[in-house]
Amino acid sequence: MVLVQALVSGILIGGVYALIGIGLTIIFGVMRVINFAHGELMMIGMYLTYFLFTLLHVDPFVSVLITIPIMFAFGAFLQKTVINRILGSLPQNQILLTIGLGLIMSNTVMLAFTSDYKILTTSYSSSSLHIAGISVSQPLAVSFAITVAITAALYWFLMKTDTGQAIRATAQDREAAQLMGINVRRMSILAFGIGASLAGTAGALISPTYYVFPQVGSAFTLKAFVITVLGGMGSVVGATLGGIIIGVVESVGAVTISSDWKDVLVFAIFLVVLLVKPSGLMGKSRM
Amino acid sequence: MKSRAASAAGTVLLLAALAVLVAFPAFVSNPYALHIMILLFLATGQGEAWNIIGGYTGQYSVGHAAYFGAGAYGTLVLLQKWNIAPWYGAWAGVAVALLLSLLIGTICFRLRGPYFVLASIAVAEIVRLTVLNVPSVTNGAEGVLISDLPPFTIGGWVVTDFSTKVPFYYIALALAIVTVLATWAVQNSKLGYYFQAIREDQDAAHSLGISLNFYKNAALLISAFFTALAGVFYALYVRFIDPTTVLPLDLSVQIVLIAIIGGIGTIYGPMIGALVLIPLSEVLRSNVIADLLIKSGLVGVDSGLGIFLKGRLAQAHVLIYGILVVVVILFMPQGVLGFVRKLASRKEQG
Repeated sequence: MVLVQALVSGILIGGVYALIGIGLTIIFGVMRVINFAHGELMMIGMYLTYFLFTLLHVDPFVSVLITIPIMFAFGAFLQKTVINRILGSLPQNQILLTIGLGLIMSNTVMLAFTSDYKILTTSYSSSSLHIAGISVSQPLAVSFAITVAITAALYWFLMKTDTGQAIRATAQDREAAQLMGINVRRMSILAFGIGASLAGTAGALISPTYYVFPQVGSAFTLKAFVITVLGGMGSVVGATLGGIIIGVVESVGAVTISSDWKDVLVFAIFLVVLLVKPSGLMGKSRM
Repeated sequence: MKSRAASAAGTVLLLAALAVLVAFPAFVSNPYALHIMILLFLATGQGEAWNIIGGYTGQYSVGHAAYFGAGAYGTLVLLQKWNIAPWYGAWAGVAVALLLSLLIGTICFRLRGPYFVLASIAVAEIVRLTVLNVPSVTNGAEGVLISDLPPFTIGGWVVTDFSTKVPFYYIALALAIVTVLATWAVQNSKLGYYFQAIREDQDAAHSLGISLNFYKNAALLISAFFTALAGVFYALYVRFIDPTTVLPLDLSVQIVLIAIIGGIGTIYGPMIGALVLIPLSEVLRSNVIADLLIKSGLVGVDSGLGIFLKGRLAQAHVLIYGILVVVVILFMPQGVLGFVRKLASRKEQG
C-alpha cells in the first residue's frame, strides 16, 4: 500500500517534472543549446506566482494564465538579445553563457527579495483527496491535471498547426527548414518562449507545495537534464516519460531506500543512461 | 616573432613581480590585504589546475568541486577524528581526489561535449550528497570545524605556529607558483601537445595513435591533483568546511569561470581571471561600495537605498560572476587576455 501511495504521488509530481523537461528539450531540439538557466526560469515563475498570490490574491493555479504570457515574453526576449548571438559557438560556451544568465537571475532575485524562504500557503495546501484507500495531495492532483492539459495542448500545437510543424522542421534540420522558407530565427524565439513559459508554469504549479527561494532553480536545472537525457535530448514524448519516471524513482526511492539518498539514485540512473544509451529512451525521433 | 630583448624584458618583469609578491608581507601587515592576496593565489591555483583539463585538453569539467572537497575533507576529517597531522592528512585527501578523478574519468570520458559536462556535474553532485549523507565520517551538513592547527615543526624546531596570516600567504603563493610551473611544464611537453591535439580534434588525434582515454585521464589526474592541493590549503586556512562551501556546483562553476574569464588554454589566463574576479567579488562581499557611497554622502545611511546597499549588496557577490561570464562569452570569446591581445595587435597594425 505504501508503495502504491508512493507510486501515485511519484506520477503526480512527475507531471510537473515533465513540464520542466519538455521546455528544456524543445529549446535543445530547435537550437541545440542546453539551457542551464532553466531552473532559474522556473524560479522566476515561482516568484511571480508568490507575489500574484500575496499581493493580488490570485490563486496559484489561476495565476498560470498570467505566468505563461509573461514568461513567454521573457524567454523570447532572452533568445532575441542573448542566446541568438551564440547559436554557432562552441557548446561549452553556450553552456557557460546560460550558467551566467542563471547566476544573474538568481542573484538579482536575491538582491530584490533576499534569500529568505517564502512559503505560499493556500487554504488547500495541506488538504488531500482519498481515492480507493490512497490519499493524494490535493494541490498535487490539481497541478497534475493542469500539466496534462498543457501537455496535450502543446502536442496538438506541435503536431497540427503550421507553426508547430515549422518548429519541428527547424528541430529536425535547421538549414533544410530555412531552405523551405521557414523563418528559423522566429522559430527559435518561439521555442525559447515556449520553453520559458513551460518552466514558469512548472514553477507556478509547484509553488503551493514547495519553498520559494532564489537558489531553488539549480536543483531543478539538474533534474531537467536528467529528465531530458533519460527521454532523449530533443524528444517531447521522451521528456514526458522521463519526467514521470524520475518522479516515480524519487518517491518510491524515498520510501524503499531513504529520502536522503533519492537524489543520489536519480543521478546514478542518469549516469547509467548516459553510458548505456546516451541517446535516451526516445533518442531516435526528434520531437 | 617576439624579439629576444622583449622576451628578456618579460623575464625581468616576471622576476620583479615575484620579488614584490615575496616581499609583500614584510611591508603590508594588514590582515585583510593579506587575506585578499591569499584568495588571489588560491583562485589562481584553482584556475590553472582546471585549465589543464579544460583549457589544454578541451574537456570542460564542471565538477571540480569534487576534487577540491576531497582534498579539504580528507585533511580535516583525519585531523579531527584521528588527530593525524595535516602534513600527512593532506596527502590522504589528495589520494582520495586522485582515485575519484580516475573513477570519474573512466565513467565520463566515454562521453563528449555537452554530455561530458552533464556527467561531470552529476558525479560531483553524487560526491556532495554522499558527504552530506554519511555524517558518521564527515559530520554531514554540520561540517568539520578545527579550532587550532598543530604547529609546523621540523625535528623539534617550530617553523610556524600559524598564529598570523603570513605563513598562509607564503604557502598559498608557493602553491600558486607550483601550479603555474606545472602548467608551463605540461604546455611545453609532449604530454601537452597530445592534450592540445585532443582539444583541437579528438578523432584526428585518435587516428594519429594518441590514446584518448589515457591522455584525457592523465590530464584530469594532474588537474585533480592541484585542485585537491588547493582544497587542502583552503581547509587549513579557513579551518571550517561543509558541503555547501567546498563541494557545491557553484564552486565548480566559479573554478571554470576563473579560467574562462581570463582566457583558457594559456598560462596567464587564470591569473588574469583571478585578478579580475577576486577583487570585484570581494569589493561587493565586504560592502566597500556601500560604505564608500555612504561615507561620501551620496547615499544616506538611513535612506532606503543605504539600507538596501548595506544589507543586500554583500549577498550578491556572485552576481558579478554571472555578469562577467555573459559579457566575456558574448564580446570576448578568447577571454580578457585574448581581448587585450587583439586590441594590442590592432594598435600595432593601424
